[in-house]
Amino acid sequence: MNEHLRALLLAVVVVNTVLALTTFAIWFERKFAGRMQSRLGPTRVGPFGLLQPVADAFKLMQKESIRPRQADRVLFELAPLLGATCALGAAAVVPLAPGVAPAQLDLGLLFVLAIGAVTVLPIFIAGWSSNNKFALLGGMRAIAQSISYEVPLLLAALVPIVLTGSMDLSEIVRQQAEGRWLAVWPFFLGLPAFAIFLLAMLAESNRIPFDIPEAESELVAGVTTEYTGMKFALFYLAEYAHTLIASALAAALFLGGWDGPIAPGLHWLLLKTFVLFGFIYWVRWSLLRFRSDQLLSICWRWLVPAGVALVAGAGAWVAWGPTP
Amino acid sequence: MAVRPRTVDDGSSFEHPLYTTLLNTPGLSVSVAALDDLLTWGLTNSLWVFPMATSCCGIELMAAAASRVDLDRMGTIVRGTPRQADVMVVAGTITVKMAPRVKLLWDQMPEPKWCIAMGSCAISGDFYRELYSVVPGIDTFMPVDVYVPGCPPNPEALMHGLLRLQEKVRASRRGEQVVRDPNPALLAITKPSVPRLVDAERTAEIAAAQEESAATSTAAEARAPLEFEAPAARPADEGLERRLHADDAAHFPREGPALVPVEQHLALARQLKAEGFRQLVSIVASHWPAGRGRQGAEPAESEHFEVAYLVRRVGAGSRLAAWAVRLAPGEPVASLVPLYAGADWQEREQYDLVGVPFAGHPDLRRLMMPENYSGHPLRRDFASDSPAAPWR
Amino acid sequence: MLQVTTITRRVDPHLALDLYDPEAELLLLHFGPQHPSTHGVFRMDLYLDGEIVVKVVPYVGYLHRAVEKLCEKLTYAQITPVVDKNDYVAPMTNEQAINMAFEALLGIEVPRRARWIRTIFAELQRIASHLLWLGTFALDLGGALGGGSTLFLHCFRERELILDLFEDVTGARFHYNTHTVGGNRHDIPAGWSAKVKAALDVIESRLPDYLSMTLANRIFLDRTRGVGVLDGELALELGVTGPILRASGVDHDLRRDAPFHAYDELEVRVATETDGDCLARAKVRLREIEESIRLVRSLVDGVPEGVLNAARPIKQPAQFKIPAGQAYVGIETPRGELGTYVIADGSANAHRLKIRPPSLHALSALPHVLPGATVSDAVVILGSLDPIMGEVDR
Repeated sequence: MNEHLRALLLAVVVVNTVLALTTFAIWFERKFAGRMQSRLGPTRVGPFGLLQPVADAFKLMQKESIRPRQADRVLFELAPLLGATCALGAAAVVPLAPGVAPAQLDLGLLFVLAIGAVTVLPIFIAGWSSNNKFALLGGMRAIAQSISYEVPLLLAALVPIVLTGSMDLSEIVRQQAEGRWLAVWPFFLGLPAFAIFLLAMLAESNRIPFDIPEAESELVAGVTTEYTGMKFALFYLAEYAHTLIASALAAALFLGGWDGPIAPGLHWLLLKTFVLFGFIYWVRWSLLRFRSDQLLSICWRWLVPAGVALVAGAGAWVAWGPTP
Repeated sequence: MAVRPRTVDDGSSFEHPLYTTLLNTPGLSVSVAALDDLLTWGLTNSLWVFPMATSCCGIELMAAAASRVDLDRMGTIVRGTPRQADVMVVAGTITVKMAPRVKLLWDQMPEPKWCIAMGSCAISGDFYRELYSVVPGIDTFMPVDVYVPGCPPNPEALMHGLLRLQEKVRASRRGEQVVRDPNPALLAITKPSVPRLVDAERTAEIAAAQEESAATSTAAEARAPLEFEAPAARPADEGLERRLHADDAAHFPREGPALVPVEQHLALARQLKAEGFRQLVSIVASHWPAGRGRQGAEPAESEHFEVAYLVRRVGAGSRLAAWAVRLAPGEPVASLVPLYAGADWQEREQYDLVGVPFAGHPDLRRLMMPENYSGHPLRRDFASDSPAAPWR
Repeated sequence: MLQVTTITRRVDPHLALDLYDPEAELLLLHFGPQHPSTHGVFRMDLYLDGEIVVKVVPYVGYLHRAVEKLCEKLTYAQITPVVDKNDYVAPMTNEQAINMAFEALLGIEVPRRARWIRTIFAELQRIASHLLWLGTFALDLGGALGGGSTLFLHCFRERELILDLFEDVTGARFHYNTHTVGGNRHDIPAGWSAKVKAALDVIESRLPDYLSMTLANRIFLDRTRGVGVLDGELALELGVTGPILRASGVDHDLRRDAPFHAYDELEVRVATETDGDCLARAKVRLREIEESIRLVRSLVDGVPEGVLNAARPIKQPAQFKIPAGQAYVGIETPRGELGTYVIADGSANAHRLKIRPPSLHALSALPHVLPGATVSDAVVILGSLDPIMGEVDR
């Protein structure tokens, strides 16, 4: 019983931390985008406009909740909840500091990847149940994209698994902390795998240049076209939380997670996460968008073969490479 | 603090169930006031805009979101879907064809919602007000909270409008009368975030320049008054071939393009196209009521239509060729669509607005006016201010 | 994988849908009239097979403001501020087109100084207009929440510099009302040419940034190359003019081929491309920005001395009459040939005034080039045609 209570408490703490971090990430992105576009970004609420996402949240809470008459009743309401749950669920296994992870799973990485794969379902459910053609097109695009990019994502994640011989994220990070970061050595395996992982992650979390399911210039607001108020806020939050957690994962897999000198581990993890997050948004605010067929061709023609080669290379490295 | 029930037209009539529940919970009334302030703070500082941008004001709306003014400073971003917006900024002229769509989009926005009428067209119809196709102000069919006058208003003015809207929201949440006097403190905030290329000394500079230019224009006062001599009409005895091809690339004979008989019109077009006049420039139909006709024509003419065709030979030494046909009311003229694909929309437009039928057109529907519209507005006898729409 | 084919043969825009594969279930997507990428209020009904457009039915007229009727009601002197609003991205050229038609009917010779100033205005306006096009095109390609919006805001930032220059002359940011029959209303202020050159320097120094985000960007090239190919012959028939026509391999520019303003004293280098796709249109417009910067630089220092207007200011609009006659004047605006066809009957009002907008003709190419493209391409193609709905619908 005590154990359950502890797990529940931990879950509450983690979820709220992630949400708080997400609001900060939203502010960070708006300011960041503003500076890239020679604007100021939010300035009026709180110091440097820090409270802007909070104001948005209070605003969205008060908005009327509209469900279109023709929409599928249950699924339409379910989709945003599912979306937020999936995005936050992945946070459970991210190792925060030496020996500290919300949930210590032997198959942590598998769990994360599985949850990541499910994320596409709420998006499609939202697109389909809205009874809106733009949303439907967005949902169809999301399915095609996510299923394709799942493959290179898994292949890229296999490289650290093969190299460390573990599927437990904490163990992967521990090995990196004791030896070298995977992106540093063997760099000819780690760096390309890291790059593929990042690209696939961008596609999974629907960020530009892979944001075709949203594609505001084509599909208005994609799958979320019909969502109002808090339901939209959940999607919005899920999107950012997903990117944030994916950044943390990439940091754990390839950049040694909490490993770093002087400061405690959590600081390093946060720093690495936000550097990656910033990189994603740097890309987002400077690139244009692919067309869906180009997107898929990149995936199947380049990323998947490269991923297979990397996994094979990792196997060879473990079998015949220098023993640590 | 007493929270009064709101009237329907207030714009903030929506009450969230959570809010009402809290309000009715005993012992919570004190915190409710604080909560109310918090909610109002959220509401006012995150006004997401749905850009109902139709014309010129839309460009200034974009400029307001752009770097120099930057609406994002006050938390205002632009959303493409009405479902996620709080403020509809109607920027531009709303026509009778567009108005039902604007209303539909307004109805799709979730409460609480507000509307800003940006620019004189949205406010009153501007100088299109009396015309057959324009709605004289959007407040004829939907509620408006803030009017931002101008043609178009500067981006700073729009920002000021949004700040006034914030004040209005705050006041109405407190159940107060909405402030009416301009608040000087607000004007200070609307200053551009990025300085202009030419800044403070500009005022003096411009004044000096204006004085200078005023001085030169008085000096030039001695020039000739508006006297002109109409260019001589081309002698009529020149062959048709000569009269079709204007000397100068842009002009044709003053009395109008050479008139050709209706039955020869298609053959002439074919011939000109073969000669290299491959670009369709324009098709212009005009209505001449009884007693009026082109320059040099007999005064007592019966009612007729003229359709002028302009084609061009492109490239160096570009030349224009023009011809016209005269039609009795209701008499059709052969369509040019088989020869020039661009005649499709041109003929539809002239059919719509002037009412000339084009025989052989594959899809002769109205182009500009709604399809259930009756009448042809560009006829001379069309009363342009006749009621053509339900909202006037 | 989605197979995208670009159809270069002629498409019948009035194709009956049952001629298409009768087994296919087509999705009818109403695109507009209010949509982030329709550049104003324009609606096209897309018949989709998956994401491929099979047929498109465009609808215009959502901004039909009856300008031609209004011009018949107003006196000649009152028309200029009205036509400003037609092509609201390049208001200067609207004013020029309409006043030049009146001048042609009156036989007025515009003073050389006014012609030079008009040329400068026209070229500055071309820069501003193409910058706005580049920004909105990037929005179509990259979305309002991505790289597209960065380029868009940067373009707007530069466009503001030109608006400031116009504001210095006319006092207005947007609708200037500075051209009159016979010349200009506002003279350029002292020191203006230095400001013009400063602004142009800024814009020119930032052009490489735009190129790096567009023509040097792989994604941009992939999205535009071979998309929306418009064949030159069809473009001529449709009456498509301006950069779109030049991108289709037709070397035609009224500035060079039928000079107006001061263009007969200038050498205009006309940019042409042969591919006829969206990329070619982008290249042509970007080169036109450079060419316009060069032209303005060469013009702005040598504005000739002299009177600014061949006629006195019109004090009584109702007394300003134009003798009976007809005239057509077409000038090259940023979007192509903007023509004005005036039929005067000797009174103070026009009998009929028809504006020939380049955008209407450009938009009429849509049913010919869209079939075979995807929804994503549809947005790009529409953006590359650069329609301004105020001008299309009038």
